[in-house]
Amino acid sequence: MKRKWRAGILAASIGLAGFLTGCSSDEAGKSDNNSKNEQVALDIFQFKVEFKDQFEAVAKAYEEENENVKINITTVGGGEDYGAALRSKFASGNEPAIYNIGGPQDVEDWKDKLADLSDSAAADAALDGTLDGVTVDGKVLGLPYNQEGYGFIYNKNLFEKAGIDPSTIVDFASLEAAVKELDSKKGELGLEAVFALPGKETWVTGLHLSNTFIAPEFDSNVLKAFESKNIEFQYGDAFQKVLDLQNDFSVQPTVSLDYSKQVEELFSLQKVAIIQQGNWVYGSIAGIDEEFASNGIGLLPIPVEGYKGDHIPVGIPMYWGVNSNADEAVVKEAKKFLDWLYTSDTGKETVLNDFKFIPAYNGYDSSKISDPLSKAVYEYAEKGKTIGWTFMGYPTGWGQDELGVEIQKYLSDEGSWEDVINATKKAWESSRQ
Amino acid sequence: MRKRDLSYWLFLMPVLAALLLVVIAPLLLGIYYSFTDWNGIQTKGFIGFDNYIALFQDERFVDSLWFTVKFSIVSVILINLIGLSLALIVTAKLKTNKALRTIFFMPNLIGGLILGFIWQFIFTKAFAGFGSIVGIESLQGWLSTPGTGFWGLVILMSWQMSGYIMVIYIAYLEGISKELIEAAEIDGANALQRFRHVVFPLVAPAFTVSMFLTLSNTFKLYDQNLSLTGGGPYNSTQMVAMEIFNTAFGRYDMAYAQAKAVIFFLIVAVIALLQVYLSKKREVEM
Repeated sequence: MKRKWRAGILAASIGLAGFLTGCSSDEAGKSDNNSKNEQVALDIFQFKVEFKDQFEAVAKAYEEENENVKINITTVGGGEDYGAALRSKFASGNEPAIYNIGGPQDVEDWKDKLADLSDSAAADAALDGTLDGVTVDGKVLGLPYNQEGYGFIYNKNLFEKAGIDPSTIVDFASLEAAVKELDSKKGELGLEAVFALPGKETWVTGLHLSNTFIAPEFDSNVLKAFESKNIEFQYGDAFQKVLDLQNDFSVQPTVSLDYSKQVEELFSLQKVAIIQQGNWVYGSIAGIDEEFASNGIGLLPIPVEGYKGDHIPVGIPMYWGVNSNADEAVVKEAKKFLDWLYTSDTGKETVLNDFKFIPAYNGYDSSKISDPLSKAVYEYAEKGKTIGWTFMGYPTGWGQDELGVEIQKYLSDEGSWEDVINATKKAWESSRQ
Repeated sequence: MRKRDLSYWLFLMPVLAALLLVVIAPLLLGIYYSFTDWNGIQTKGFIGFDNYIALFQDERFVDSLWFTVKFSIVSVILINLIGLSLALIVTAKLKTNKALRTIFFMPNLIGGLILGFIWQFIFTKAFAGFGSIVGIESLQGWLSTPGTGFWGLVILMSWQMSGYIMVIYIAYLEGISKELIEAAEIDGANALQRFRHVVFPLVAPAFTVSMFLTLSNTFKLYDQNLSLTGGGPYNSTQMVAMEIFNTAFGRYDMAYAQAKAVIFFLIVAVIALLQVYLSKKREVEM
């Protein structure tokens, strides 16, 4: 009897010990930080996988310069997953000091947990208009990562062979003419089709493409889109025309065509001449054909008939936010780190050369931007030939889950363009009630 | 009757604690959240049955539920048919028995996500390539229509699970005593008659087991669905688990997704209880 008792207690205590060790590791970490008063730990929870290694290297350099700061970087990639991971991170009580927020909806959701950054040097240096989406009651709640832009990326060599001068493409008619010209010479150019429209990627159709035609309606202001109770599709016809043009001259079936097929398999191997993508594809193309990526590609505008034909959409994909729940010392160090990253000379150098960012701040030497797509985006931005990014002001999930899905139906002839417009209009209104 | 003293509970405690922490507590919390308007960060309070009322009018949820039911029925039938056929093949006196068993079981060892991507390649590339060589137009553009998406999922699932179900049938087939078959043979029954009237009734209990194994597996399917079709085109091949995930992490309608999950839980629970009831009943009969 006694032995049974002992065994029982043993089993129970082993089991419980397991739980307790699981729970206790956090506690240990926290008390460790408190014991060394000067040491400040900056937990950074960020989403950009593409520059993870470079970012970690920069953090290390910063740690060496500032011995009292210890930076822990966690990277969770891919837009959707990041939001979920951030929520569970906060729910677990293990709150990061610096994290990423997207558009106005994120600001609305997180504003109780975002510190005011308007006194930072980086906020002063930020380009005009880049802080619009993250300013609430005069408080700046986020600092831009970088700028990104998209449009029609085209194959320069093929355009030359077909005898098309890309600088003449400034409106829908000239684009259409060029596409038809390319289509007629498909055989000699070795093309499968002119376009590759990835209907499977609802962010390409429902967010990026749609933004080009929806942004003018909201004066390119993301907050206007965010506050709007309804959507008119003022440039709906122009939208349909560009979508049809891409679909009619695309590799089929478009509805199951995905990003990697579009960018890597078809465009990088020069099986299609034009794709609708942004400066972020440079890395993928360079990974397949370095020479082609640096000399053979350029960026064309997406024409909006009745508005502007030669503008490209440029915006801020993500912002840095600082957790206002963190200790004062941590908030202070977090701001210092972000300032250093974007306004110090070492920081600027890294942002341009290692991160390969298109800077969203003043005081950068733009001639140092290395890849042709980023350079093109920066040039458009310099000339002011840009349309804003308003898709972050769409109702949550509307762009991909409603519009993107309706466009898939349209592409598979399951519904008319009217249906797309009506269904998504209704969805916008019902989520903004 | 065992004596339940303190040591009994001490032994049980680790398991009970684990169950409470990772199953019971989340379940209760989830039910609580399904009555609020929680968005994953904060909640403004109770909203009663609003979420539940909304979800029955939610076309997308109902569509995905209907798709899941259709998929489950077709897969369950196909998997069991193929599984039984495979079992019959490998229990026949063939030299390659052992090798065949391994080969048939192998798909089951590959993770669902990877399988999905492999089959995506087969459906979109290999099918199209083969189709253009032999000139069969219907092999082009697989996974780009709801129909091919549906059958793609069914084929993938049957390919993966048949081997597993085969193992269950083998166990029952080998349990049949040779005397019965021999007796039938002597009485002049041909192969088909022997199967129909002797073997089939004797492996019937295996159906209950396999049926519910496949049913609960196909009903809760997520990873194969995600990697093969991703719900596309236009959400027409989205199954319930994925619909709930997208509601929660795509639109951040956490409380609403939770309400859907509770309904989903109830459906799966009913299936599971039915299984327990039926197999218990059978035990009594035999």
